[in-house]
Amino acid sequence: MKKFLAIVKREYIQRVRAKMFIVSTVLLPAVMSLFGIVPAIIFSIETPPMRIAIVDQTGRMYGQVRQMLFSDDSSQEAQSNNPVERRGGPRGLARFSLEEVNASNQPLDQIRAHLDQRLRARELEGYIILPPDFLRTGEAEFVNRNPGDPFSLGPLQTAINRAVREQRMIDANVDAETRQELFKRVELKNGTLGVAGSEGDSGGSFALVFVIGFVMYLAILMYGQIVLGAVIEEKETRIAEILFSSIRPFTLMMGKLVGVSLVALTQLGIWALAFSAFAVYGINLLASRGISASMSGIRPSLYIYFGLFFLLGYFTYATIYALVGSMVTTAQEGGQLAMPIILILVVSFYLFWPVSRSPDSPFAFWVSMFPLSAPIAMMVRIVTQTPPFWQIALSLAIGFGSVLVIMWIASRIYRVGMLMYGKRASIPEAIRWARQA
Amino acid sequence: MAANEITVKLDGVNKSFGEFRAVSDLSLSVRAGRVFGLLGPNGAGKTTTIRMIANITAPDSGSISVFGRKSDAKLQDRVGYLPEERGLYRRMRISDQLRFFAELKNVRGKVIESKIDEWLARVKLSEWKNKRSMDLSKGMQQKIQFVTAAIHDPDLLILDEPFSGLDPINVELLKEIVLDLKRTGKTIIFSTHQMEVAEKICDDICLLNRSKKVFEGSLREIKSSFGRNSIAVRCEGGDGVLDDPSLVSKVVRHADEAQALLAAGADAQTILKRLIDSGAVIGKFEMVEPSLNDIFITKVTEAA
Repeated sequence: MKKFLAIVKREYIQRVRAKMFIVSTVLLPAVMSLFGIVPAIIFSIETPPMRIAIVDQTGRMYGQVRQMLFSDDSSQEAQSNNPVERRGGPRGLARFSLEEVNASNQPLDQIRAHLDQRLRARELEGYIILPPDFLRTGEAEFVNRNPGDPFSLGPLQTAINRAVREQRMIDANVDAETRQELFKRVELKNGTLGVAGSEGDSGGSFALVFVIGFVMYLAILMYGQIVLGAVIEEKETRIAEILFSSIRPFTLMMGKLVGVSLVALTQLGIWALAFSAFAVYGINLLASRGISASMSGIRPSLYIYFGLFFLLGYFTYATIYALVGSMVTTAQEGGQLAMPIILILVVSFYLFWPVSRSPDSPFAFWVSMFPLSAPIAMMVRIVTQTPPFWQIALSLAIGFGSVLVIMWIASRIYRVGMLMYGKRASIPEAIRWARQA
Repeated sequence: MAANEITVKLDGVNKSFGEFRAVSDLSLSVRAGRVFGLLGPNGAGKTTTIRMIANITAPDSGSISVFGRKSDAKLQDRVGYLPEERGLYRRMRISDQLRFFAELKNVRGKVIESKIDEWLARVKLSEWKNKRSMDLSKGMQQKIQFVTAAIHDPDLLILDEPFSGLDPINVELLKEIVLDLKRTGKTIIFSTHQMEVAEKICDDICLLNRSKKVFEGSLREIKSSFGRNSIAVRCEGGDGVLDDPSLVSKVVRHADEAQALLAAGADAQTILKRLIDSGAVIGKFEMVEPSLNDIFITKVTEAA
C-alpha cells in the first residue's frame, strides 16, 4: 500500500509540477473562449445595409414586404417615416434598405434598363420585380449584383413569402385578429409521467447528461493519451525492470492510473471552478435582463450519479489506454492502436438517442450494463425513466469490476512484454503473455 | 557473518521462453558476505538467472531460496537490483528519483534524506542533487542508477553488467564501493561477460555457457588448480614458434606482448629454447596464471 502511494505521489507531483500542466490549464480555457468570442466579433462587424429596389407591379405589396422584412419575428412593427433608411434583418447578418420604384408610369423594360444601370453604378445591390399576377403565381424575379451572397436571399424570401400570405388572407376577408391567431406559434412543454414534482426537470437533466458525455469524451481524449504515455514511460526509459524488483506490476499500473486520474481531476476541477464562476456571473447577467437560466429543477441525487458515472466512464476508457500501453513499446505505436478506442467512445455517445427514446427496452438494459457504453447509457436511463436501484448498482459493479480485470490483464502483458524487450505484442501474443507470467 | 552461510541457493532450476531454453538444470550457492560472479558470454542465461533470483520471473521448475526462504515479494526490500536494461526518469530531479526508489523499498522518513546525501557524496555527484537526470552525462547517470539499487542498504545486491560503458576511473570508483559493501557484510551477485573485470573483484564464480553451468567455485581455487600453464612473451621474431599447435594451444597477441596457453604435455622450457634457436630477441618471458578467459574456454571445451 505504501508503495502504491509512492507511485501515485510520483505520478501526481511530477505531472502537476510540469510546465505543460500549468500551460495547458491556462491555455485551454483561453483557446476555448477565443473560439467563442472571435466568431461573435466577426459576425458583429457592421456592413453597410443592402440596398434593394422593389418594382411592385401589383401596386399593393411593397408596404407588406417592407413591414415583414423589418419586423423581427412576427407582429408589432412601428411605422417609420423614412422608408429608405429603415434597417432590419435577423441578428445583423443582413441588413437592408428598401426603396420602391414606381411601376405605373413607365414600361417595364425601361425600368429594368434604368435599374441595371444603377446596379452597375453601385447605387443598388439588387432589385426585385413583383409582376402583376404575383399574388396568384407567387413567382417573382430577384436580380442580385452578388449572387453568391447566401445571407440576403433567405430573409428576403421569408419576408416576401409572409407578405404574400398576409395579403392573400386580407383578400379573403380574414380579419386581423384571426390572422394573428392563425400565425400563433406552437410550443411543446416537457413533463415526466407519474413522478410528482419532477415535471420540467428533464430538460435541464438532459443538458447535464449531454454535458457529462461531452466532458467525458474530452477528458478521455486528453488524458487517455497521458495514461498511455505514463504506462510506456518506464519502457522507453527502461526503468520498468528496476521497478519490478520492488513492486508488483499490478500495483504499479494501478498507481499510475490513479495518479494520472488525480491530475485529470485537478485540472478538470480548476476548469469547473473557473467555468462556474463565469456561469454565476453569466446567469446573474441574464437574470438582470429578466431571463431565468436556473438548474434548480434537477434532483440532487442526479449529481451523485453524474459524479459516479463520470468516474466510471473515465476509468473504463483510461484502463483500455493502459492496456494498449502495455502492448506497445513507443508512444507512437500506442497512438495508432488507440484509435479504435475513440471510435467505441463515439458510438457509445450516439447510443444516447436510441436509449433516450426507449429507456425501458432490453436493448437499453444491456447497453447500460456493458462497461464501455454503460456510463452514458445508464445516465440517460436515470434521467428519463429511473431504472430500479439494483440495475444502477449492478452497472456500477460491472464497470468498476471490469476496470480491475482489465488492469490485471494489462499488468501481466506489461510485465512479460517488458522482459522480452521485444517488438509490439500481437493480440495472440498478448493473450499468451497474460496467461503466462 | 558466518563464512559458510548461504544467501542464495538455486536447486535444479529450469527456465524456457517458448522453444528457447534460457537456463537448464542450474544449481548454485551464493555464500554470504562474498562477491559472487556470474560469468559467461552473451546469451548464456546470466540475466535470466538473475531475474529469477530478483523475483522478477518465476522458474519453470526447481527451487530458489533467498536468505533461507522461498523468494517472495516481501524479501524484495532486502534485495537491491541493478538490471542490465536500466534508466532514469529523464525530467525528474536526482534527489526526487532517489527518494522515489528508496520509498519503493519501504525506506521511510528522515533516513532517506541522509542516505541521499551520503550516496551522492560517495559517487561524487553531490552538486548534481537538484539537477534533472537529462542534464547528466551518461556516466553520471550510470552512477545514479547504481545508487538507486543500493540506497536502501540491501543485504543482497544484484548487479547485472554494472560497469559496461563506464570509463576506467568510474569503474574503479564503483569497484571500490562494491568491495566496501562486501566488507560491511553484504552479499553481492555480479554478472558480466568481461572476464578481466570479474577477475579483480570476485571471490566465487559460476561460469555459464549456453544455459548450462560449466563451473562453480572459488576463483582462487580454480586458478591454482590450473597451475601456471600460461606464458607472457615479448620478443622480436620467432613468431612461428608460438603458432606451433604441439606447443601452444592458444595465443593472444596484444600490442607488444603475446600471451600463450601451453598445449597439453608441452613445457615452457621447450618454447624458450625454440624461440632462442629461431633467433628471436626476447624482452620478456614469464610464467603467468591463466586468465579467467582461458579457464572459461578450457572448461567449455572440456564440457563439450
